[in-house]
Amino acid sequence: MTSAYSGQPGPATTPGAHAGASMLADYAAGTADTVTAWSVESHLAACGGCRQRLSTYAEPERLARNRSVLLVRAALPDGRASRVLRRRGVPDHLLRLLAATPSLRRSWLLAVIGVLAVVTVETVLAEQAGPGGPPGPRGLMPFLLVAPLLILASVAVAFMPAFDPAHRLAVAAPFSGLTLLLARAVSALIAALIPVICAAFVVPGPPWLPAALLLPSLALCATALAAATVVGPVAAALGSGILWVLPVVALAVTHLPLEVVQWHAQYACAVALLVASLVLFLRHHRFELGWNR
Amino acid sequence: MTLEVHTAAVQVRGLSRRYGSTRALDNVDLTVERGVTGLLGPNGAGKTTLLSILATVSEPDSGEVSVFGLDPRDKDERVAIRRRLGYLPQELGYHRHFTVAAFLDYIAILKEIVDRRQRGEEVARVLAATGLDSYARKRIRALSGGMRQRLGIAQALLGRPDLLILDEPTAGLDPEQRLRFRELVSNLPGDPVIMLSTHQADDVAAICPNVIVLLQGQVRFVGTPAELADTATGHVWAASVRYTGAHLSWRGPDNLWRHIGECPPAGAQIVAPTVEDGYLLLSQRVAAP
Repeated sequence: MTSAYSGQPGPATTPGAHAGASMLADYAAGTADTVTAWSVESHLAACGGCRQRLSTYAEPERLARNRSVLLVRAALPDGRASRVLRRRGVPDHLLRLLAATPSLRRSWLLAVIGVLAVVTVETVLAEQAGPGGPPGPRGLMPFLLVAPLLILASVAVAFMPAFDPAHRLAVAAPFSGLTLLLARAVSALIAALIPVICAAFVVPGPPWLPAALLLPSLALCATALAAATVVGPVAAALGSGILWVLPVVALAVTHLPLEVVQWHAQYACAVALLVASLVLFLRHHRFELGWNR
Repeated sequence: MTLEVHTAAVQVRGLSRRYGSTRALDNVDLTVERGVTGLLGPNGAGKTTLLSILATVSEPDSGEVSVFGLDPRDKDERVAIRRRLGYLPQELGYHRHFTVAAFLDYIAILKEIVDRRQRGEEVARVLAATGLDSYARKRIRALSGGMRQRLGIAQALLGRPDLLILDEPTAGLDPEQRLRFRELVSNLPGDPVIMLSTHQADDVAAICPNVIVLLQGQVRFVGTPAELADTATGHVWAASVRYTGAHLSWRGPDNLWRHIGECPPAGAQIVAPTVEDGYLLLSQRVAAP
């Protein structure tokens, strides 16, 4: 590093001294280290002569480029949530990619919360209806049916081309389709899981219900993703949804709706999750191609 | 002594693609070199199918494609092609809630420009190149059709691609914007391979040293615009009355009927053909052999 002020080594704040030529050049080029840059800046604030000399080191092209970059930066929306996540170490480019995920948009999340609220209130009221209303466990059926389906729908919306208007551009770009898909699917899954788990604490079910919903929801989403490598995204999402609806309805008819999240079902979901993960691993190249055969 | 093996930028051999019973591409052979190549053809001729296959977005039923010597069937080589590609699809979808800058920033990330500063510079560069710099903050849904088309061209230019595939880039542009587009394409640095499809023969005549005519899924002409125009020499004539035996005839601003046909009548005033005349004559010959 060059002297901070003419004739003196390192950054200094000696009154009356001025910034050296190489120091000003480094500062103008943006290559000065942080301490030096601060030191120069504090001096420049008070010294018109050095400000004048600084302008001779600044490259007009670089200044114009910096100005354009700043204008672009200013035009990029930067919400509170992304600022917080960035401070937590989430990469900036990942946040930008997620901004294009439809199931992370406020309107979608509000819709999910709205549907959950209706189903939750209905379940609570059914429980309070007493002997005249549906029997306790059976009253849970609508919630058990809808909650994992909402999570599945959120994940499906995150990866279906129909919901991504710039899908063809994403396919033609070198960014890994699988990485993009997983980033979107996982973030959509988390965003939908939070209200579902919160609602599971409110509905009149067993205390383990919130935890018991995790594995079936994961298995359902993984099955949809794995199936999408074989049959296409819409059929995969619909098929997975039916795989959930059928046992829930069948068990509700036999007055055992909670069976669908109890031990046997958890084992079945674990197996389904493993198989789906294996299929996904073996056929992940399908996502690199896009959906157009 | 070493032998230099010349590999064409884009090579296509025996390419076919069907959509149900419709044959979109029928055994297409093609070689494209550096520079601008115009792809002329009517709707349904197979232009978009061909370009989407070259852009690695679609797969053919049969045939071989080589882009810069790389085979898009191989996963790694496909990614290598995409790293050198700028693609403007015919129907470009936009995240309508995005601003112009946010959309370009998003596409830049998909093009693996992850560094924030580098991305900012690249977005600023393409905004300036397409004259959109003062629209950076505008939401896409507030842009006119022509502006959106410019945005589509801007995103294709991100990352300074070696291969630029533009499907109907001048659709929706007003005359001044079309001229600006021609200027932009002509001044792209680095001599990239540019393939653009269009219905506008005058765009091809203005900026494409090479032209390919695609009709009914088959390549019917490969050459220069002048050579395409030459194919109609002796088949374009002017007359004060309409001649019903011509393929096409229309009244010009000079009030004379301009005819394109196989046999000009005796004494007809033969006129110099344009690229459009050559293209129209070829289309008519293929449609009614």
